[in-house]
Amino acid sequence: MCVAMVVTVVSVMTGFLDMLKNSGRQIVGDVIVSSGIAGLPYSDEFLVDLKGLKDVQGATPLIDTIGLLRMPYPRGNQKEVAHVQVWAVDPISLATVTDYANDLYWKPAENAAAALAMAEDDPRKNLSEKILTDGKTLIQSKTGNPGIALGIHVSIGNERQRDGSYRPRYGWFMPENDVTLTVVPVSSQGKIAEPREQIFPVVNEVQTGIYEVDHNRIYIPLKEGQRLLRLDEAPLYDLNAEPDGQGRYPVIGTTPARVTKILVRAKQGVSANSLRAQVETAYASFSKRINADPTRNASMPDYVNVLTWEQQLRDLIAPVEKEREMMRVLFSLIYLVCAGLILSIFWSIVVEKTRDIGILRSVGASRLGVMWIFLRYGLVIGVLGSALGVLLAWLVVRNINAIHEAIGSDAPPTIWIGSFVLTGFFAIGLVYAIWRGKLLRILLWLLATLVMGLIATFLALHHGTLIWDPSVYYFTSVPDQVDWTTAWTTAIGGVVFSVIGAAIPASKAADIDPVEALRYG
Amino acid sequence: MADHQNNLQNHSDQTSPLIEARGVRKTYSFGAVPVEVLTGADLIVHPGEWVAVLGSSGSGKSTLLHLLGGLDRPDKNGGEICFDGQPISVSHGKRLDGYRNKDIGFVFQFYHLLPELSVFENAMLPGMVGNWLTNRSEARKSAGKLLDSFGLSHRLAHRPGQLSGGERQRVAIARALVNSPRVLLADEPTGNLDAKTGEGILDLLAQRHANGLTLIMVTHDPAVAARATRVVKLANGCVVQSSASE
Ligand SMILES: Nc1ncnc2c1ncn2[C@@H]1O[C@H](COP(=O)(O)OP(=O)(O)OP(=O)(O)O)[C@@H](O)[C@H]1O
Ligand SMILES: [Mg+2]
Repeated sequence: MCVAMVVTVVSVMTGFLDMLKNSGRQIVGDVIVSSGIAGLPYSDEFLVDLKGLKDVQGATPLIDTIGLLRMPYPRGNQKEVAHVQVWAVDPISLATVTDYANDLYWKPAENAAAALAMAEDDPRKNLSEKILTDGKTLIQSKTGNPGIALGIHVSIGNERQRDGSYRPRYGWFMPENDVTLTVVPVSSQGKIAEPREQIFPVVNEVQTGIYEVDHNRIYIPLKEGQRLLRLDEAPLYDLNAEPDGQGRYPVIGTTPARVTKILVRAKQGVSANSLRAQVETAYASFSKRINADPTRNASMPDYVNVLTWEQQLRDLIAPVEKEREMMRVLFSLIYLVCAGLILSIFWSIVVEKTRDIGILRSVGASRLGVMWIFLRYGLVIGVLGSALGVLLAWLVVRNINAIHEAIGSDAPPTIWIGSFVLTGFFAIGLVYAIWRGKLLRILLWLLATLVMGLIATFLALHHGTLIWDPSVYYFTSVPDQVDWTTAWTTAIGGVVFSVIGAAIPASKAADIDPVEALRYG
Repeated sequence: MADHQNNLQNHSDQTSPLIEARGVRKTYSFGAVPVEVLTGADLIVHPGEWVAVLGSSGSGKSTLLHLLGGLDRPDKNGGEICFDGQPISVSHGKRLDGYRNKDIGFVFQFYHLLPELSVFENAMLPGMVGNWLTNRSEARKSAGKLLDSFGLSHRLAHRPGQLSGGERQRVAIARALVNSPRVLLADEPTGNLDAKTGEGILDLLAQRHANGLTLIMVTHDPAVAARATRVVKLANGCVVQSSASE
């Protein structure tokens, strides 16, 4: 029982972490190069360098900033505004580093079977391929305008269904609407410039599965981002020369466009840490080369942050990790309770059976033999309990989403009616017991009747409550993989603690003196 | 003392002794007051003897028998008990367990059967606890044969609680004999039974004795002691007197 609890909880938490880490990788790639607000110039050339590294699968530039998103709703003048994390990306290369293309939510069913599996009112049934290509390119094909992709939970328009699909709510199917994005450019000196805004048609929505991301992030084309944030190519003026008649300085060249981050994806089997080192060296030599080149109009920043995705997502991962460890420790205390339980039960058995143990000793049972009797029971209890526990946990964890669903919906009438019938049966047993006049039986039947009645009433009155609120947790579904390492350690721990619990009474039993035991027995 | 000397010499020339207790002392210290129960008891038993140990209540008969059976140990420097020439009182752990299991059989006044086990399981108990490698089928066979010869073959599956005192004592004797020990130690085997039933038990022991079993029997009833081939008396912590009863 204890084992089942520990394994279930830790499995879900570990599944959580794995999911977090996995999706973390899917979202930011393996290694992130990030610079300050002034950005990295010549990112195209650096990307070429990066792609030349043997362990790099793909790399993509992006600008990461914050912005305000004016929604099309409600109807009327007072529009709602959401604050968002803006990713200005090159969607094509982004898809080689992250799961961007797969994460686009609105897409027609891949095949007839998938279409059939969708509910009748699922809007995806009537989508064209176009919406997917638009999402993949961030261009609205109808107009050729740059488009925006929203995280699926950014707008209020998407309502999550029990099966994990979405339905438009209040009639707001976002890919048919425009939104207005406002961002604030920051100069390289850190000065805030005039906010700029632009209207974008929503081309698709993105579901990464991490609520934090899906609730906040929007994607726009890199070019638009650079333009809005004044990180695009700009003429370089000679401020030392005389301005012309209109007060303009002569142009002596252009400054390159900039990005604030570069995401890098490792080839299969390459660890993020080793890639990080490679990227760091690559950057060092690249910046040295650029900075030594006198024809360049911009220099590379001296310091950039090169982090693995794990370091980058520290804030997200660390609390869950800590929580899991805490759970592990807390639940491990249950072990002690189990061991204590076994100890006290066995102790009373030993005390009660002192005479019998004395008999065994008098006919030649050795101390070890007597001890083994109790240790064996401890072992059997431990092994059986652990096996049952792991089995139970496995069943629970594998079906956790179904169980969650069941808890979340009304109990089917058959079950609660059945419970009432069972209660009635227990009541009959109770009446019979009263008639027979056996006190213990009356008590037991009474207890059974009451408990069953309570369960039945609870089931009858129960109306779904969702325990797993996706806005509290990061994910939109509950992890359902058993963490076998934990399962095994917990099971073995259970066995060890059962045996330890049994060992103390067992040694007491072994120490029983036959003569004493028989004299007082 | 003369008798005692006599006892020592009587049989020594015939065969080597099976059990030999010399100067055995046993003190119980319960609280601050030590009770010296045995103050130097000597007893030599030869193979094939049936020795009855007589004595008043509290004279230390049970204590002596427990020491002989390896259930308890004499005081430090409190003499020596040898079985077949080997000291048992200095043995520790395994050796002593084996002694209790194989070399001797012990019968108690109050039977001391395990209530959860059947008659048959009780009888074969020494065969089961002996050690990891004991031959169970042998114990099974031997227990079946013994119970059969004790007239209990129809009660094998019963619990001890369902048996009469005499029947229980027969089960206890079967248990004591299941590993074919060379000596049977019996502590007032008839003390808890009526005269007629006790007589039946004694007949049974006599029959075993006739088959070559060595018997040491504690009793406070001279009539019971009369069945033995030799009677020794315990008084003041010593074996003070002995006589051949035949
Ligand atoms: N564990 C013990 N602690 C203290 N005293 C003990 C202990 N065992 C026995 N005695 C004492 O030792 C003495 C001898 O006891 P024992 O049982 O050997 O007598 P016994 O001759 O068998 O008597 P009975 O005929 O009544 O069975 C008694 O006075 C008893 O009180
Ligand atoms: Mg006694």
